Amino acid sequence: MTWIGAFRLIVTSWRGRFGLTVLGLAVFVSIFGTLIAPYDPEASSLAVLQPPSFDHLLGTTENGADVFSQLLVGARVSVLVGFAAAFISAVLGSMVGLASGYYGGWTDRILDALENWFLVIPTLPLMIVLARLLDPSLTVLIAVIGLTSWAGTGRIVRAQVLTLRERAFVERARALGAGDLYIIRKHILPNTLPLIFANTVLIIAVAILSEAALSFLGLGDPTRISWGTMLESAFNSGAPSAGAWWYVIPPGLAITMLVLSVSLLGFLFEEFINPRLQKESREVVVPEEAVTPLTQRQS
Amino acid sequence: MSGRWLTGKVAAAILTLVFVILFNFFLFRVMGDPTTQLARLPRATPEEITKLQAAYGLDKPLVGQFTDYVGDTLRGDLGTSQRSRRPVWDEIVDAMPWTLLLVGTGTIIATLLGSWMGVIAATRRGQKTDDGLLGFSLFTYASPEYWIGIILILVFAVWLPILPSGLQVTPGVEFSSFFAEALDVAEHLILPATAMTLMLLGQYFLIMRSSMVDVLTEDFITVKRATGQRWDRVVRRHAVPNALLPLVTLSAIQFGAVVGGAITIETIFSWPGLGELTFQAINDKDFPVLQGTFLVFSFAVIVANLLADVLYFYLDPRVKAT
Amino acid sequence: MKNLLEVEDLRVEYRGRPIVDGVGFSLARGESLGLAGESGCGKTTTALALMKLLPDGLSQQGSIELRPEGAEEPIRIGKRTEVGMQVVRWRHISLVFQGAMNSLDPVKKVEFQIDEVICLHEKGVSGKQVKERIADLLTTVGLTPKLGSRYPHQLSGGQRQRVMIALALACRPSVVIADEPTTALDVVMQAQVLELLERLRRDLGLALILISHDLGVLAETCDRIAVMYAGRIVETGSVDSVFSNPQHPYTKRLLASLPVIGGERGLAPAIPGGPPDPGNPPEGCSFHPRCPYSTERCLEDPALREVAPGHQAACHFSPWSSWPKVEPLKVGEGL
Repeated sequence: MTWIGAFRLIVTSWRGRFGLTVLGLAVFVSIFGTLIAPYDPEASSLAVLQPPSFDHLLGTTENGADVFSQLLVGARVSVLVGFAAAFISAVLGSMVGLASGYYGGWTDRILDALENWFLVIPTLPLMIVLARLLDPSLTVLIAVIGLTSWAGTGRIVRAQVLTLRERAFVERARALGAGDLYIIRKHILPNTLPLIFANTVLIIAVAILSEAALSFLGLGDPTRISWGTMLESAFNSGAPSAGAWWYVIPPGLAITMLVLSVSLLGFLFEEFINPRLQKESREVVVPEEAVTPLTQRQS
Repeated sequence: MSGRWLTGKVAAAILTLVFVILFNFFLFRVMGDPTTQLARLPRATPEEITKLQAAYGLDKPLVGQFTDYVGDTLRGDLGTSQRSRRPVWDEIVDAMPWTLLLVGTGTIIATLLGSWMGVIAATRRGQKTDDGLLGFSLFTYASPEYWIGIILILVFAVWLPILPSGLQVTPGVEFSSFFAEALDVAEHLILPATAMTLMLLGQYFLIMRSSMVDVLTEDFITVKRATGQRWDRVVRRHAVPNALLPLVTLSAIQFGAVVGGAITIETIFSWPGLGELTFQAINDKDFPVLQGTFLVFSFAVIVANLLADVLYFYLDPRVKAT
Repeated sequence: MKNLLEVEDLRVEYRGRPIVDGVGFSLARGESLGLAGESGCGKTTTALALMKLLPDGLSQQGSIELRPEGAEEPIRIGKRTEVGMQVVRWRHISLVFQGAMNSLDPVKKVEFQIDEVICLHEKGVSGKQVKERIADLLTTVGLTPKLGSRYPHQLSGGQRQRVMIALALACRPSVVIADEPTTALDVVMQAQVLELLERLRRDLGLALILISHDLGVLAETCDRIAVMYAGRIVETGSVDSVFSNPQHPYTKRLLASLPVIGGERGLAPAIPGGPPDPGNPPEGCSFHPRCPYSTERCLEDPALREVAPGHQAACHFSPWSSWPKVEPLKVGEGL
């Protein structure tokens, strides 16, 4: 599993190209949105709920603000929360999965039970309860989503670690006196990272949808505009009944496109990784301990 | 033996539920003394606060409070809604049938339609039909269900005003018979159920399709064809039943998403179910209600998973042997 | 009297590459024909082609004519459509698939699956009659009828193999093709299955096409044998004639690799090299790159021709009265 191989995989399939393009666009807009936006997204005006025109490419909101500018600026929250929450979820899930799979015994039993609980419990209600407890903000959103989405990664990592633990090269390393942390770092982790990566990409998609849903329900950061809050405002101000399609369609479409692009990339990685992992996870990293005798290393 | 397996599964389910109650309890404690929130009366005297504390059992040790909490929950006492002052349980009981109606309709249609689409896509794998269905399913899978709901409202309630845009009945109308009222409800059910169906369709489709594709590569399918059976019969009689098995367990795992969708879709359509209740509770910061619906949602998902396990057990003759 | 089955110039292609390259043979009523050859030579593909069961992507051509008992017109399988084949398959010709592990529907009982097949081809059979026939079939293949009410996973491998044979006989076809019926079975089971097939052939007057890479198995059970190499038949004749007097270098080498009880000890000489790539077949005789006797003449396609009564071979230098001693070829040698 090489970076070049992965890159080539993406570029040669239309799914990969689509995913990369849309994702790239989203990241670009999330960074430069505030610079590109023609209007201040929060600037209100008297042109309330106006359909698209030359002045306002996507019309105006119930406050007379420019929808297009809001769309551009709102990208930042979705992308940021998506990536950050998925990252937290990946780190948490990996740690739990590693500890659980590697150490076994009671550690495994407790962590596995915890993992199963998080897997069974419906996530949105859980996120709602947690988010409502605290004052809504970006940090809260990222934390809540990250802390509730890790179980899927955890389970995958645990399964992988369990199979790796019994493999010959791990036993060899142990026989040569390698410690647990060394084995985890040098042997288990490299063979598990591709799996974690592929899974995390899909978690990004889930995180983006979660942020949108929470924002839509009123638990988003009130100081920020996101695609979810745009839908929230649109709905609360009666935009659908007013037929203001220019306000209602773009944010949802943006969310859909972003989620789609990330998902397609995620599926691609998964396909790539799965058959490979069976074949290649023999010795991705050359076991140094087999090459340098113990006595030398201790100096 | 099946008895032991079943007991094991039920025990696990109960344990999971207990942890939900535990979680709720700690949440209750974390958010602080509810008496200070409830007693937001101006100039509440210390004696009154102490009296309230005693009434809520907050002067007891932690363990005692927990056992009280569990006992209350099992008896159906989930606290009182801060907004309506009614017992949370009553609010839930009122809302539940509506959610069941919405979720039930959506799930049934999505399962049937999604499976049927999955079979078609698998038998026409690689062709345009397959690509089209895949594309459609991916789109609905990636899109927020409430956004789909809004679009449905836009199209069918605003632009072509043929369906109502919300609520479960037309307000202010007296119905001549139960049947007439049921019809009105049905009319109001169409859009929300469509949103729910579209949300779930993609999942069921993808699962069924992949399951069918796997089954169609099996040897016994070629054998059935070799025996002179018509291909459509081979698919229907031998491929589909084998492909349905994983669908049962996999769809149970998706039940959590169903719950999430119920919340947002009911919000859009002001459908008076548990989801709408949750939404209002969010706005009102009505914690007893939020915890109550969380408990009920968790319970539903746990039970759904259990039922799926049991169902799979009875459907797959191979599992019975273990 | 014409033969039961006549195959002429059967060709199967995959993306322009020939997998079966002009195969022809005939099968008389009640006769058993062995189809021998190494993996990949096209034996299974030929079997599938006889029933028009080739997977998508493979195209077949050629004449396949079946004349079951009492039929006025021959069944021209080569010309039949998928729908037309549905009445021919199993009723007149059936196939025991290689590897019976997963050949039955896992969620249906055995008796249901046999019942299904019988009712498919015979309308108006009463439920009682079908039950009797199923019990009969199972007994014939050496299983207790009780096993019919079980699910496939509840049967052992050997039992499943027998069920497949019972299934193949269910509609009383005139031809049964058995594709590697003994592979993946232990020696004891092998003997039992072969004995079963032979007994069935005698008792029911079946014609049998037995496909195997194991020459020993074919020698025991078959009347005639056809040796395939790279999609073509390179030698065919009665088992006695071919085994005692092989007329093609490939057959000779195959036979030499069979250990003989009481014969010399030591490793049997392997045939150097491997089967040719169908996308890039050798010029002329497809075996010549691996043949120790090849000369320039072999660049010309040798046709299958009669070299002894009832015995045909596709070699320019046959009939071989004796085989000159040659140094075993090193890998890569040959023309």
